[in-house]
Amino acid sequence: MIEWVHPGLIFILGALLIPVLKGRWKKIYLLLLPIAALIDLLYMSTSRGVFWRIPLLGYELVFGRVDQLSLVFGYVFTIAAFCMTLYALHVKEDGHHVSAFLYVGSTLGVVFAGDLFTLYLFWEVMAFSSLFLIWYRKTKASSEAGFRYIMVHIFGGICLLAGIILHVQNTGSIAFNSFNWGTGWGYLPSYLIFLGFLINAAVPPLHAWLADAYPEATITGAVFLTAFTTKSAIYVLIRGFSGVEILIWLGAIMAVYGVIYAVLENDIRRLLAYHIISQVGYMVCGVGIGTWMAIDGSIAHAFCHILYKALLFMGAGVVIEMTGRSKFTELGGLYKYKYMPLTFWLYMIGAFSISGFPLFNGFVSKTMVVEASAMADLPIVWLLLEGASIGTFLHTGLKVPYLTWFGRRDKDKEPVVEPVKEPPKNMFVAMGITAFLCVFIGVYPQALYGILPYPADYNPYAASHIIAMSQLLLFTFVAFWLLRGMLHGTPTITLDTDWFYRVLGKKFIWFCEKPLISFADSIDEKVRRIADSFVWFSKNPPVASRIMMLTVSTVFLRPFNPNPLYTRYANDLEELRKLYPAEVHRLAIGSGVLLVLMFFTLYLIIYLTYGVLWV
Amino acid sequence: MGIKLEQKHLFGILYVCLAASILADVLVNFHGQAEAQAHTAFLWQTIPGFSAIYGFVGCVLIIVVSKALGHLWLQREEDYYEKH
Repeated sequence: MIEWVHPGLIFILGALLIPVLKGRWKKIYLLLLPIAALIDLLYMSTSRGVFWRIPLLGYELVFGRVDQLSLVFGYVFTIAAFCMTLYALHVKEDGHHVSAFLYVGSTLGVVFAGDLFTLYLFWEVMAFSSLFLIWYRKTKASSEAGFRYIMVHIFGGICLLAGIILHVQNTGSIAFNSFNWGTGWGYLPSYLIFLGFLINAAVPPLHAWLADAYPEATITGAVFLTAFTTKSAIYVLIRGFSGVEILIWLGAIMAVYGVIYAVLENDIRRLLAYHIISQVGYMVCGVGIGTWMAIDGSIAHAFCHILYKALLFMGAGVVIEMTGRSKFTELGGLYKYKYMPLTFWLYMIGAFSISGFPLFNGFVSKTMVVEASAMADLPIVWLLLEGASIGTFLHTGLKVPYLTWFGRRDKDKEPVVEPVKEPPKNMFVAMGITAFLCVFIGVYPQALYGILPYPADYNPYAASHIIAMSQLLLFTFVAFWLLRGMLHGTPTITLDTDWFYRVLGKKFIWFCEKPLISFADSIDEKVRRIADSFVWFSKNPPVASRIMMLTVSTVFLRPFNPNPLYTRYANDLEELRKLYPAEVHRLAIGSGVLLVLMFFTLYLIIYLTYGVLWV
Repeated sequence: MGIKLEQKHLFGILYVCLAASILADVLVNFHGQAEAQAHTAFLWQTIPGFSAIYGFVGCVLIIVVSKALGHLWLQREEDYYEKH
């Protein structure tokens, strides 16, 4: 007997009531839904197995696969949804709340999906509901970025669907388990599904949608976006492709890639978005290593990342909300204003967490993946991951706060950006709760390790870990302080792989519209002429053929002019052309019947003699 | 003046931390060989202060390499995509 309902359903059906409620009741309702889902999850955790099985066309859809892996992701998504809803409580548009709840609900649908059809269904709902969190910003940039975002996700969805269909055709099963892996055409279904997953995980070169779209989303919508799409992709990668070696390298490169781009960014949220890519790199790498500790590390890092990245985006959101600006070249010196020290310190808790300072949650999860790479004897991966840690602290922990709250503005005596709006209080309460969770997990990691699917025999607070991490981060600060002059924002954008569809794509469309269409038009014209000549010919075939013969003859005879034959032909031709199609010679109806009879007779002869006179 | 003094103090704390982290590393290497071994996978991890060097050099490299990439290749004016 099932005593619980699907937690995704609580969000999805719950979202429908939001527009009906008003004022205070709506706010209470918004906060109660995630809490209800969390309580529901706790009930679920007492029973393991497969629930909510619905037969469909000879297949069995599984909406509720409950095991430790899906539960961990379920917990963190629900907890994050609560904090984020609290952060977004002041938002007036109902549609914004509805799309956020559909987004959360469909992500939970993905997490508990036990078969590929259910997975695909929620996968698509996730893409489309999240789109509205971008479009609600209602600017030209957000509308365009939203279109690009959904195009990429539709492409990913199609890859996934194609892979699923081929997979079902090959194996006859729609169960969502580990996929076959190897090289060769036989693994095409796995490759296509893999590609669909990689797009959502924002693995370079398929990552540009993230850094393109997230910074254009609404202030509260961006906070939601940071958590669900990429981390649910990590979840499905763990389910389907754990231990696939290429993920190790993709992940390690991804971790550094995000860091390099973060140096060049001038937009506060785009910088943080590149750090999502970098952090997800650790998780992808962990999935690729595939040992118990690496998988546990990936899950733990996803858990912690959702919390601190939400906190960072919340902090950046408060700055944008208050100043209306998001570029480093337009920010600076905010620390002395009301609410800003509070924002700064809450942001810094997120920054210390993402950088992996001891006593913050990033430390207890990131080091797990790094340690797993050491245990799997991957020195280059280890160096890349540690290098990404340096870059993370450099940007999120040093560059962003320096250029936003302090910066050169005082020295240059330029007018400081004054906050123009008072931020809603609920934003700070949400940040406070998220910050508390970051520190809590950092101080008491057993709370997190206890719910991981594999027995995590890992002690983050070994002396050597603490010392190595402290050295790494402290000396990063030294280098930052020496080179801080180089880190000021410049009013530029940075080209990324979205260039291919934003510039080359546009050129391709131009090519289709101009040269290709005119080429097609000329072909069209030629074909039409040929068709016309057939029409002309069929109006009176005997006369038409005579005209053609006469034309050819005159062409041949012209060089021997004057010539009586030529003159005669030319005159005939002129006359025939003038009269054409002239009077058509018609047959009596009887001749038509005769033709039909002859045809049938021929058929009869063949029919009767087949097998007798000939074979 | 107040801000200046504060910054000076902060840097004092920083120097102490830098020294302490190196010192602790040396001590752990010296005393707790067994414990240190358990967490050592690569040769360079036995060098005292390796993380400090890596942190510093890595940070400089990230800044310089990224900036070079940006200036030479990747960075464009803000209305690049409207123009192209």
